[in-house]
Amino acid sequence: MQFIFKIEDKDLVPAAASHVINPHSSLQPQQPAVLVEPKDAQHEIKLQNIVATFSVNCELDLKTINSRTRNSEYSPKRFRGVIMRMHSPRCTALIFRTGKIICTGARNEMDADIGSRKFARILQKLGFPVKFMEYKLQNIVATVDLRFPIRLENLNQVHGQFSSYEPEMFPGLIYRMVKPRIVLLIFVNGKVVFTGAKSRKDIMDCLDAISPILLSFRKT
Amino acid sequence: MSTGLKCRNCGSNEIEEDNARGDRVCMNCGSVLEDSLIVSEVQFEEVGHGAAAIGQFVSAESSGGATNYGYGKFQVGSGTESREVTIKKAKKDITLLCQQLQLSQHYADTALNFFKMALSRHLTRGRKSTHIYAACVYMTCRTEGTSHLLIDISDVQQICSYELGRTYLKLSHALCINIPSVDPCLYIMRFANRLQLGAKTHEVSMTALRIVQRMKKDCMHSGRRPTGLCGAALLIAARMHDFSRTMVDVIGVVKIHESTLRKRLSEFAETPSGGLTLEEFMTVDLEREQDPPSFRAARKKDRERIKDMGEHELTELQKEIDAHLEKDLGKYSSSVFRQLTKIKGDTSFGSEPGTPKSVCENDIEMEDSRQFIDQSNAAIIKDLIEHNEDVKKTEPGSLMAGIEGLRPDIEAICRVTQSELEDVERAKQPMETELVIDDLNDDELDQYVLTEEEAVTKLEMWKNMNAEYLQEQKERDERLAKEREEGKPERKKRKPRKKIIGPSSTAGEAIEKMLQEKKISSKINYDILKTLTDSIAGLTGKSPAASVDTKPTTLEELQQQPVIVEEGPIAPKGSRSKPAYDLPGPSRKRPKLEAGLPISQAPELEVEQPDTKPTLEQESMIDDDDAEVDEAEPEPEAEPEASLQDMLYKGADDDDDEFGYGFEEEDY
Repeated sequence: MQFIFKIEDKDLVPAAASHVINPHSSLQPQQPAVLVEPKDAQHEIKLQNIVATFSVNCELDLKTINSRTRNSEYSPKRFRGVIMRMHSPRCTALIFRTGKIICTGARNEMDADIGSRKFARILQKLGFPVKFMEYKLQNIVATVDLRFPIRLENLNQVHGQFSSYEPEMFPGLIYRMVKPRIVLLIFVNGKVVFTGAKSRKDIMDCLDAISPILLSFRKT
Repeated sequence: MSTGLKCRNCGSNEIEEDNARGDRVCMNCGSVLEDSLIVSEVQFEEVGHGAAAIGQFVSAESSGGATNYGYGKFQVGSGTESREVTIKKAKKDITLLCQQLQLSQHYADTALNFFKMALSRHLTRGRKSTHIYAACVYMTCRTEGTSHLLIDISDVQQICSYELGRTYLKLSHALCINIPSVDPCLYIMRFANRLQLGAKTHEVSMTALRIVQRMKKDCMHSGRRPTGLCGAALLIAARMHDFSRTMVDVIGVVKIHESTLRKRLSEFAETPSGGLTLEEFMTVDLEREQDPPSFRAARKKDRERIKDMGEHELTELQKEIDAHLEKDLGKYSSSVFRQLTKIKGDTSFGSEPGTPKSVCENDIEMEDSRQFIDQSNAAIIKDLIEHNEDVKKTEPGSLMAGIEGLRPDIEAICRVTQSELEDVERAKQPMETELVIDDLNDDELDQYVLTEEEAVTKLEMWKNMNAEYLQEQKERDERLAKEREEGKPERKKRKPRKKIIGPSSTAGEAIEKMLQEKKISSKINYDILKTLTDSIAGLTGKSPAASVDTKPTTLEELQQQPVIVEEGPIAPKGSRSKPAYDLPGPSRKRPKLEAGLPISQAPELEVEQPDTKPTLEQESMIDDDDAEVDEAEPEPEAEPEASLQDMLYKGADDDDDEFGYGFEEEDY
């Protein structure tokens, strides 16, 4: 049975065949996988949040930054950094004394990049010797609606080593995919949240890996 | 004896066990392997004040040294092990918790077993013991299918139920315990009992059970707390059996919010089963299963959105598309006109100027221009070559051919260009460091920057708002400054990571490195140690002069140096940190020492002789607090070469070597 699945896997994803077999695929359920319908195959992945970090490589005086900008707030008792917001692209930066900056809230990679550079530019305008270093996307959160109900209990039973489903604590099933390393929140109404991805490709790969699994746990 | 035990001393299998005496003797060599056997029977003896059990009880969980034949007598510490204490405590607490939850002893034992598993995998570290106990008990409840909720346990233990949930998930995942999903049916009986339904409790709960089953079939339970479902089912069931239970009554029992209960009820009402009459519901089982309510809600939302789009966005979209089409059409016709005017000849006037034609025309243009470039190039190059004297000798025909083939060949195409090399270089560098601001709108960003006055105002406001923090900060700074003035040492910074020591060529070098790395005791004078290791290095032929140089300093400092010699075997711990140096010990050991040491050190030792006495006096004074060092010290003294060897061996075969050494020591 497993052998058959492996071959099937190769057929489906020839690119992944050379890799070590994904543990998720080896754990496919006993019932034969339902063929992916063309209309199900294309799901609209919506990026919801992007977190990027970068460094301006100089020490920052947070008090000055706070007092000289309109869009910032700084309450050192509550949080050590300056919180700076921006309208377009709509995102928020956490600025720290060491010059490290976290930019969150952007809806896509472009916005995160532009927003980050805009924050750096604002700091430059305040007279800091600003560089733009170590820019890195740290986390991407995305959602997708698969438009079919999912049997979470069965999924949890079969994929117990990756998933945890405790309706007493959280209504969704938490699925920790190993490769790509992404955490998914799977809800009974077919909506899925991806988090912990570093790139858009991670999410695509993850969706490719998970959608046959979810399809087999589809509630008919 | 057929236990397969082996004598530690001679390896013989003939071991005689005598339960009455409580010992085990090897029949081959006669050594007593154990003199306090563990037996599973109780004997009593008469003592002065009545009867007493012989020996002492050993708990089943203890992993005492009973199996360590031959080691037995060396084992120190007769008390219980720390792990045993931990388990005992866990047992007590888990039992208590189970009693509070009205769980029988069987559950407590299972929970304790879970705890032991967790303990053996070091999962208890960094977690509160109450959480671990509660998680173990909850795991037991889940695997055994009791009607306990996470919140019940967290309620009893007075801990956060989410924190407990995290611990429970971590444990169950790490221990690979596949726990069945929660079944809301389990809780029906429990809640029904609390609704004070009297004699009809069973009937009501059966009805409620049926309702919950139906709800499960319609997928109402997934992603929902079981209590909500139970509450709704119980409310309906109670009313079906003519009990007037209000929502508030049920809420008081199942501990959910009224809106949740209301939502569950309305969701159930929406299912086809909810539409049945009471009699029908009790008799008819609908085959069809419904989609989960949240899924239906999402689809409903989708439909509404599409409908909305139909009314508003679609018309706008339509207009937009029309506008674009018109514009495109205009462009298209004009381009067609242009084409028609440009191309004469082969295109007939009436034919449709489609896209293939324009593509074709493009190709023709490209081909023409290329030919032109080639020809002009060839002409110019030919000109140049004709002026050049050297090339004139070559054949004109071949020259022509060479010029014809001036287009880039495969090699040129494949060769890495300068720009590509630059790209590679750029990729190698960590990252661009300069801020690129070409595409940023400065005006927009200027809006965020305040003017001087505004800045002052905002700073004032900020100062007012954060007055408290600023005050605290000031006080802290003052305090720190004061401390610094008083000469208090600054707060310890975290030590840097241990450096990895590379391999060393000689033993002496290795010892030196080790001593640099970690100080064994604050009571050791490391300068002396250094000189001594120098002398050892001298032994190996590296620096023969070292021992002579160090003599005077050694003498002075040796007087302050406490030395204790232990007679017993050396504990493994001591020899681990054993430095290879020698210090004067009691005269009893002297001859051996001299015998072991090379001649170069002999004069030094003779001078030291008179100091032996004071050293011995000091020994008793510092006996207690220097125990660890002491264990280390005598060893090299007794046999320096052996200790060096020992040190080299250390990595390879720890236990055996040390043990063997201990025996040698005893023989002296």
